[in-house]
Amino acid sequence: MADLSALTAAIEVGDRATAVRVTSEAVAEEMDPRTILDAMISAMDIVGARFQRNEIFVPEMLISARAMKEATAVLAPVLVAAGVRPEHTAVIGTIRGDLHDIGKNLVAMMWRGANFEVVDLGTNVGPEAFVTAAREHGAVIVGVSALLTTTMVAMKEVVAAIRAANLGDVKVIVGGAPVTAEFAAAIGADAYAPDAATAVEVAKTAIGVA
Amino acid sequence: MNHRDRVLAALAREIPDRCPMQISFTPEFAARLRGDLVARGLLSDPAVVLNVDGNRAGEHNPHGGGNTYELERALDEDILLTSVGWANGYYQEDSEYVDEWGVGWRSQAYETRFGTGRYTEMVGHPLADDAAIASYVPPDPNRESLYVDSGRVIRDFGDEYFIVGATVTTIWETAWALRGYERLLIDMVTEPELTDAVLEFPFQYHMAAAERLTRMGVDMLWTGDDIGSQRGMLFSPATWRRFYKPRMAELIARVKAINPALKVAYHTDGDVRDVLPELAEIGIDVLNPVQPACMDPAWLKREYGDRLLFWGSVDEQHTLPFGSPADVRDEIRLRLDTIGRGGGLILGPHITSSWTPRSRTCGR
Repeated sequence: MADLSALTAAIEVGDRATAVRVTSEAVAEEMDPRTILDAMISAMDIVGARFQRNEIFVPEMLISARAMKEATAVLAPVLVAAGVRPEHTAVIGTIRGDLHDIGKNLVAMMWRGANFEVVDLGTNVGPEAFVTAAREHGAVIVGVSALLTTTMVAMKEVVAAIRAANLGDVKVIVGGAPVTAEFAAAIGADAYAPDAATAVEVAKTAIGVA
Repeated sequence: MNHRDRVLAALAREIPDRCPMQISFTPEFAARLRGDLVARGLLSDPAVVLNVDGNRAGEHNPHGGGNTYELERALDEDILLTSVGWANGYYQEDSEYVDEWGVGWRSQAYETRFGTGRYTEMVGHPLADDAAIASYVPPDPNRESLYVDSGRVIRDFGDEYFIVGATVTTIWETAWALRGYERLLIDMVTEPELTDAVLEFPFQYHMAAAERLTRMGVDMLWTGDDIGSQRGMLFSPATWRRFYKPRMAELIARVKAINPALKVAYHTDGDVRDVLPELAEIGIDVLNPVQPACMDPAWLKREYGDRLLFWGSVDEQHTLPFGSPADVRDEIRLRLDTIGRGGGLILGPHITSSWTPRSRTCGR
């Protein structure tokens, strides 16, 4: 019988080989894919909490996310067949003029780890591209990241473009090293995420599923 | 007091006639500032920058290499920088280019209310492929041409100014430019031997350059890597201890054996309080740039003022870009009263960019 606690533990330490092996076993035993997925999600919960407490750092986050990604790839066909899909979709990108992505990538990993569907637009993304993607994918969250003081001001345009596009109840969440809660409020964003770990809680709260 | 004596006094924890100051600029900001100073009659004419190893003619180098220093001297700065190493690859072109290490760069424009600025980002990594590591040949740090400019600076200005030899991006920065950022972060926790192999390239290069600059007579060596993020270390203290502490310790020991009076500065952005005791332990004298939004300068002085000296502390995330001239003056007074109390401070931001009004820098 596949040991899902071993799957959780493997993702926690970034052991992708074990994560894939246990997932494969669980899939072969026709375990409920939702149960397998839950074991992965709880691992990323733990990882996020440790990161927030500065017990682990970016490298550890990256290998945990990688382990989850590879294990998820094994699970994906079963989830699809069972009609299990993420309930909510988020679009994420680094703002126009900014090529930095480590923070944005970590948030994307954590959101996926919390079972959001994440559409990652990459870096140097203009307001129109956020709107187009949000519309196309039915996103309820638009996440915008910036590393530079010089580029974060364009986040205001993303907020304006999202509002003007009348997409329904889409929440704009902003973050990045130079971004503050005050700045987020000043530009009319719906929420501010100070780091990748908190970003999961912030996203869930923003759409009312916390 | 001349400029050099002023810095020496501050670093000896004596109180100088005024706090010594050092500011670097992005190329666009330097151009605006130069024009402003010419208009005010403080500079006779726009300076022609010497071309050294690919530095663009007329362009200010934030790390120092190739600068003529008219700008720094007109602003009454006390420190002149002269840089050797990978960091001279920044701001080389407005288009894509590849530096001599094989790192691919892209120039990215950004808009400010004062005009367009550009920053350069590394986008091509010659050691992305594991197989490329064993056969990689880094540039040669012993080429005479690398040190011609430093010789000029020391000869022409060494009596009057405090000369800082810059070998920043000493290990981690150059290494991730070679390998890839997320890649090397992961390598450090999964492939220690491969990581060692990659780190040796910039480490050996910059250590050789550091030793040479020390022998030539710089007053301080400026080393460093960005190991901190806004809210903590980028990677764990244990990781830093495994890969960077012994290498930095060796570099520092070697340059101080050449010149026991040499000061060594360590540059890192972000919050690195977890390794401050160990930085002091391996012989780092000066912490730079003291990003105030991440580590409180007053706290640093209280906790580490006896073990570390400080270079920087002026906020360029909030105060310089968005504050008023009065805000800048208030912040400077606060720093002088706290982290600069009793000496031990070289004042400045890290690098001022196009977002900052010229008036902020001139304190008017």
